[in-house]
Amino acid sequence: MSTNQEKLRSKSASIKAYSILVYVVVIFFAILAIIPFWYMFMNATWDTFSIQTGIKLLPNFGHIFEQLKANWTYLSNRSTFSFALGFKNSLIITVSSTVLTVYFSALTAYGLSVYDFKGRKTIFTLIVGVMMVPTAVNITGFYRLMNAMGLLGTRWPLILPAIAAPSVVFFVKQYIDTSLSKEIIEAARIDGAGEFYTFNRVSLPILVPALATQAIFSFLGSWNNFFAPSILLTKQDLKTLPLMVSLLYGDRYTDYGAIYIGLSASVFPIIIAYAFLQRYIIQGVAAGGVKE
Amino acid sequence: MARGTNTSSRRKGMSYTKFGYIFVAPFVIAYCLFSLYPLLTTFWYSGTVMQNANASFWGFSHREVYYDRYLNLTDYYDDLQGSTGINPADYAKIKNFFSAQEVADRYSPIDPEGLQALVDNTDISEATRGKIQQTIDTGDISYIASDASVMEELNTWSANYVDLGLTVINQLNKVNAAATTAATLAESDSEGSEEDSLTAEDILTSSQYEDFLATLQAGEFDEGQTLLVNYLANYAGVDSLYDYFAAEDVTPDAETFYYICANLNAPNAVYTSADGETAINAITVPFMSNLETYLNANVWSTSVPSISSYSNFQSYIDGDTELHSGEEQLYSDLCTLDAMGLIVKQVKLVQEGDTLVQSSNATDNILAAMRQYIDSNYSSDPVKTRSSLQIVCLNNYLDGSMNAGRKKLIDAGIDVDSYICFDGQFDINKYLEFKAFIGLDSVLTLDKYEELDQARKDKNAEKAQAKLDEAQAALPAAQAAYDAAVASGDEEAINEAYEALTAVNVAITDNQSKVNRPSGLLEKADATRDYLFVGFDNFGDIFGNKFRFNKVLGAFYTTFVMWIIGFIPQVLLALLLSAWFTDTKLKLKGLNLMKALMYLPNVITAATIAIFFRRLFSYSTGEATSAVQMLLDAVGHERINFFVNPWYTRLIVCFINFWMWYGNTMITLIAGITSISESLYESAQLDGANSFQTYTKITMPLLRPILLFVMVTSMIGGLQMYDIPFNINQYPSLVAFNGTYVRCTQTVLMYVNELAFGKSSIKQIGIASAISILLFIVTTILSIIIFYMMRDKDAAAAAKAKKLARKAGGTK
Repeated sequence: MSTNQEKLRSKSASIKAYSILVYVVVIFFAILAIIPFWYMFMNATWDTFSIQTGIKLLPNFGHIFEQLKANWTYLSNRSTFSFALGFKNSLIITVSSTVLTVYFSALTAYGLSVYDFKGRKTIFTLIVGVMMVPTAVNITGFYRLMNAMGLLGTRWPLILPAIAAPSVVFFVKQYIDTSLSKEIIEAARIDGAGEFYTFNRVSLPILVPALATQAIFSFLGSWNNFFAPSILLTKQDLKTLPLMVSLLYGDRYTDYGAIYIGLSASVFPIIIAYAFLQRYIIQGVAAGGVKE
Repeated sequence: MARGTNTSSRRKGMSYTKFGYIFVAPFVIAYCLFSLYPLLTTFWYSGTVMQNANASFWGFSHREVYYDRYLNLTDYYDDLQGSTGINPADYAKIKNFFSAQEVADRYSPIDPEGLQALVDNTDISEATRGKIQQTIDTGDISYIASDASVMEELNTWSANYVDLGLTVINQLNKVNAAATTAATLAESDSEGSEEDSLTAEDILTSSQYEDFLATLQAGEFDEGQTLLVNYLANYAGVDSLYDYFAAEDVTPDAETFYYICANLNAPNAVYTSADGETAINAITVPFMSNLETYLNANVWSTSVPSISSYSNFQSYIDGDTELHSGEEQLYSDLCTLDAMGLIVKQVKLVQEGDTLVQSSNATDNILAAMRQYIDSNYSSDPVKTRSSLQIVCLNNYLDGSMNAGRKKLIDAGIDVDSYICFDGQFDINKYLEFKAFIGLDSVLTLDKYEELDQARKDKNAEKAQAKLDEAQAALPAAQAAYDAAVASGDEEAINEAYEALTAVNVAITDNQSKVNRPSGLLEKADATRDYLFVGFDNFGDIFGNKFRFNKVLGAFYTTFVMWIIGFIPQVLLALLLSAWFTDTKLKLKGLNLMKALMYLPNVITAATIAIFFRRLFSYSTGEATSAVQMLLDAVGHERINFFVNPWYTRLIVCFINFWMWYGNTMITLIAGITSISESLYESAQLDGANSFQTYTKITMPLLRPILLFVMVTSMIGGLQMYDIPFNINQYPSLVAFNGTYVRCTQTVLMYVNELAFGKSSIKQIGIASAISILLFIVTTILSIIIFYMMRDKDAAAAAKAKKLARKAGGTK
């Protein structure tokens, strides 16, 4: 009896020691994940000299707002970096492409799921097949096409292709297959609703949870996109935020405070959005990995 | 999916099937247009090279006419008679003909609409109008051209006719030159690189600026200059101009800054001296040209919302834009120019009392003059203005100094007007008549051109072969020089030798392709470059040319290495963390928070993160340095210049990839583990299995499909790596690869981008597409390999058996 208890106690003690080790490791990585952003924000409140002579993990108490303002002014005076312009451009492209992706993916998935037309299995198989095709390999062809269509130097090349997002169609279709009962559609039809009305007013609201998740990912993907905009947006006044940030590269620009406030400004909106949406994002990632 | 619902929906849904097509159509169309079509064209481009296309490519009939027009044989043969047997005087007639034709095309001297305006113009005498009417009726300009009195009368009328639109045009000519320059600079800036452009700092820290400040501070000016300086100080709102320029926060972005400098440099001001009204002497601003370049390149291009103003001007001047509709627009365009400081000097300053003021005399101010003129003369007669313009066009065509080709032909006794096409539609038969008339129709034939073309090709091929031999002979020496530089370790020498080596290799590639496809004479006729299909030549270049092959393979190698080195720790850590997070015995707290924090880097813009890490690791020797160098100082290690060392740079990229993605992998794996049936673990526990055993025997095998998913998606993403390596090292240092030197963090997409859209003037779309296609093929093959390696053999066998059974059973 006593030996058993001892065994149990020693076992729980070893679990305790083990869990402390686990906590240490987990907390280490959690800190590692956020410390760069913390460091970025803190440095934005310091002047160049202080940044270059000490590792600033605390804000510049007493001068936070003055220094932020000074850094921001310095940054804004550099004609290549305009936060407001970059933000506006990113927002226009991202919002438009997200709306297109979500609506048309829902439409497609609904069409594939609800209507039993000839060739729908083939289309779905093709969609699953092309999900894995690397999107960047057709860049030369895409560039020439946009050139031929006269769309270079506009935002359209980054917005219009959002209509066709195979992976979003795939996920939304899975959701429709499990969550949208055919009876509701039948009922709407009996009530005399047209097919588009049924989709827009009856089915779409039911799909909102799945669409919201896909919208978040589509939004992030478009917001963070760098490769395609760097090739397709050559005009200064169309450049998105990541392209603006990319201009902060270069050792020639020696005002570190200004660089850090530029980086912080590009990170800050995402972190705020993430703070509110992280639950859905993480659920979405989890759902993306588990098939069936 | 239950069979019952399926059939019932099929039965009832019969009439709805067409909606399936409608709903799916936008996706299919968009996918085909924006993904599939570009992919297919990328395949096509991978088989093309950019070359000068010639008329045969466009499939013209009478191609020799095309060459007559666009090819100038005298550019290639000094002695036309000796080399080609063509009489130079006759050949010159052809060139004169086309030059006259071009003037006719540009000015439309007998544009029916314009001539009709002349006919309707009652200021012009009946007789002249009759001749113009005859020209309209017959399309023959000789009714006007042969009678000198017609043009005389028209010109007299035109000289006396004052037209608002034409006045505007004349005023505009003054500012147009400056505006065009600004537009060209602004455009070249938006396309070109920014690294070499001036910055505000460059100007403000230049020694010229210091000199200028010293001049201002000394303040040794004459009376007029003092007035000007005081006026400008007042304009800037400061006590003294020196204060303005010496202020900390002065930036040459400001239009004020430019206004002041421009006025100092070339004042448009007068004051009353002892001798009466006198112009003020300039106070030279030495950095003025730098300032202008800077403003043109950086400020005006963004501060002026649209450069279309310039094209408005151009179209006014060319007469394309209807006059009488756009004076207001023109005025606003002028205001835009004024805001840019381009016509600032047109505003005259005059002395009034002890100070200078802007002249109130409207003619001293181009804007005020325009406004006044427009306000008082806003209405003018469209017929007369059109007449006036048409007279300009007629003059341009008929005037020997404007239209030298026509004059020469007329002097030679050829009635060229009867062969010219005035309606903008080139009539080949009329030209052939002309050619027959001068007797060249049987000499300058297509066969002749082709003969000349072949001779040219042979010559060029011979030349290219010589250069190729030379370059191949130079290769070993360049390679040796490079190896020596690498051995010496001097970064600058390495770069220099690398450039030299690259030049030799490029010479080999270029000349090889010139030997294979020598350029002839005929393609010079047209500067149009087009994609010529060459089959698998690009792939031949990649696999046949050692230099190219190594560059491509090196890019693949770099990409793969940077992916795999980040991926292995990423998966291992994710496996460890996911095991812990799902371990029911541990019962960790705050899991959701930890998950959220660890996933955070994945949602942040990769470009931002790369720029940040660049900063974090950057190297300098002085006291002021980056955080990582400070840490190295703290631990007593000597500082490391991370970004000149290929492997350090790569490892930083790997670390960022690892750091951004392990959270994602971990969440995916946690989801996988939690989906494994609880009962499996319970029975394992009953059987006395420990954590490690349950993990390796139950979790791992069941996680296999998820790991496959993670690996395939990560690999596809990894092979397309671009944002991080590009932003961390826009000019990566070199590293030896298989005897050729490649940029250490240049991934496949970076190489594609450099070839297809890089700064080089030759855009190598063909070879870039070929590399893209290779990337596509490699990705597909690796996906299939991984899929087969990791597939669950039992499940596959079961699926196969099921399929066979279904076939045997005959069920649908």
